[in-house]
Amino acid sequence: MRIPLVASLAWQDYRNDAWLSACSVLALVAVIAPLLVLFGLKFGLVSSLTERLETDPATREIIPLGGGRFSSAFIEQLGQRPDVAFAIPRTRQIAATAQVGTLVLEMLPTAPGDPLLGGLPVPQGLEQIVLSHTAAEKLAARPGDWLETRFARQVAGRVEARDTRLQVLAVLPLEAFARDGLFAGLGLLEAAEDYRDGRAVLALGWDGEAAGVGEQRVYPAFRLYARGLNDVEPLRVFFARQNMLVSTQALSIAQVQSLSRNLSIVFWIIAGLALAGAFAAIFAGALAAVARKRRELSVLRLLGFSTGALLLFVVLQALYSAGFAAVFSAGLYGLAEAGLNQLFVQVPGEHASHLLAHHYGLALVAVLGVSAVAAACGGWRVARIQASEGIRDV
Amino acid sequence: MLNLSAVHKSRGAGSQRYSLVIPALHLRAGEQVAIVGPSGCGKSTLLDLLALVLAPDQVGRFEFNQQDIAGLWRADQQSTLARLRSQHLGYVLQTGGLLGFLDVRGNIALSRQLLGLKDDGSVARLADQLEISDQLGKKPSALSVGQRQRVSCARALAHAPQLVLADEPTASLDPLNAERVMHALLAQAREHRAACVIATHDEPLARASGLQVRRIHCRRDSDGGVTATLGEAG
Repeated sequence: MRIPLVASLAWQDYRNDAWLSACSVLALVAVIAPLLVLFGLKFGLVSSLTERLETDPATREIIPLGGGRFSSAFIEQLGQRPDVAFAIPRTRQIAATAQVGTLVLEMLPTAPGDPLLGGLPVPQGLEQIVLSHTAAEKLAARPGDWLETRFARQVAGRVEARDTRLQVLAVLPLEAFARDGLFAGLGLLEAAEDYRDGRAVLALGWDGEAAGVGEQRVYPAFRLYARGLNDVEPLRVFFARQNMLVSTQALSIAQVQSLSRNLSIVFWIIAGLALAGAFAAIFAGALAAVARKRRELSVLRLLGFSTGALLLFVVLQALYSAGFAAVFSAGLYGLAEAGLNQLFVQVPGEHASHLLAHHYGLALVAVLGVSAVAAACGGWRVARIQASEGIRDV
Repeated sequence: MLNLSAVHKSRGAGSQRYSLVIPALHLRAGEQVAIVGPSGCGKSTLLDLLALVLAPDQVGRFEFNQQDIAGLWRADQQSTLARLRSQHLGYVLQTGGLLGFLDVRGNIALSRQLLGLKDDGSVARLADQLEISDQLGKKPSALSVGQRQRVSCARALAHAPQLVLADEPTASLDPLNAERVMHALLAQAREHRAACVIATHDEPLARASGLQVRRIHCRRDSDGGVTATLGEAG
């Protein structure tokens, strides 16, 4: 069929009709560029909101409500589930406090992999802790400082207390934990609980009753984080099946997901209408082109070009328009994206409008595909052009 | 090379009917024939039949280049017909039939490019012989009618076809230009040993150019329709 020859002829005719060609490119740009902007906004907005949820570990936290009785084996099992990123037992809240100076701090257990700590060093042994931002501020403590810490208990109406020195390993950022708090290894929390239960803590040299042999510790709660946003709801359902009441951020996650879904529906409705319009315009353009170029097409047929070659001639011209329109639209979208991001973005790294490379690829393929099919439908009339008809028109 | 006998082509019906009858037409390589007759007598219809762009109704025999053309039409072998056209036929149209979006060089080279032939200098040589060398870079719209006809002749000859068909190639030219174009076309066809069938109403020019003249006779039939018959050489 001599495709390069047909492509070259179609290109020279396309160039010769520069004004008409430019108009057909602009008609397509008028469809594609707004679609890119719309989709860019939808994608940028939703991915920013999703990213915001994903970067905040609190969104993935699942908090058991009410008291429970959990063994360490059960919580370890939870931690090994593929949809759980981190799980650690909590001791009784009333026993999980520590006094530094006059400040009473809530104690939270932590371990390697704790999403709240992020990249901060993890406390090891019974002497290291991580302070929350507000606690560090109130104590004027900096990483490396040693804090004199007091644990008090009442035994038979008598108040007793033990002191120990704890080293501040790091200070959490404010976004991670907004209250006064002290993060330590589970061992320190268990020691505080034992001491308050009147038991001896040998590791710290605190006296009291000896621990019972073979006694299983029972935990009233745990800290648990789902691996991803989509794991939160299934975990909630899992706990509900076990008759455990938990508090999750499933609602706010569902809100973002439903926003994404609804915006997608809006986008596809608009895109469908616009593409149908573009299809009709290209179809009409191809019909008109066949009528307008009737003489040239008959001459080509007389010279021995096949029907397929003539159809390719018409389709290629539509593809040239589609290609230019896609490039031009991407350029316009780039300008719009820069403007929108400058107008709306407050947090660096987030986007009001954003497209990935494969979105551009998909748009290009869609535009070329719709153009080719529409032009082929409209250009099918070339099959009916008889060389003996057009060639005698003056 | 070209053998036709008892070929019929009809259009319309009743008093609007027009029929062309070709009792016999045989052409050998290099033979040059003029088809003469008044306007509207069917010269173009005859050329379109020979150009393989119009299907005959009834055929005794229609062979071109040892191929049964009637059989190809019956089997609707459009692509085979198109290939035969591109390989063995050159067609000079009354109005040039040049492509406005190509320059003169592109128009002449088109028949060669379609066959995938490399430019062996024949485009420039033909342009030189047809005195249009200095027009090669121009678009057809910038040329005079006579120059366009020369370009059309060059395109019809560039791929060295076996048969050149020309439909009133000189009708839109003044007598002096008509003679020069006709002379140039026939000289080039002779040089390439291409057979020529030239439809013209200018019988004196045809005879002066040394063409064998075949006349088309028209006759009104009893049903009001017209039958045109290709006569013998004379």
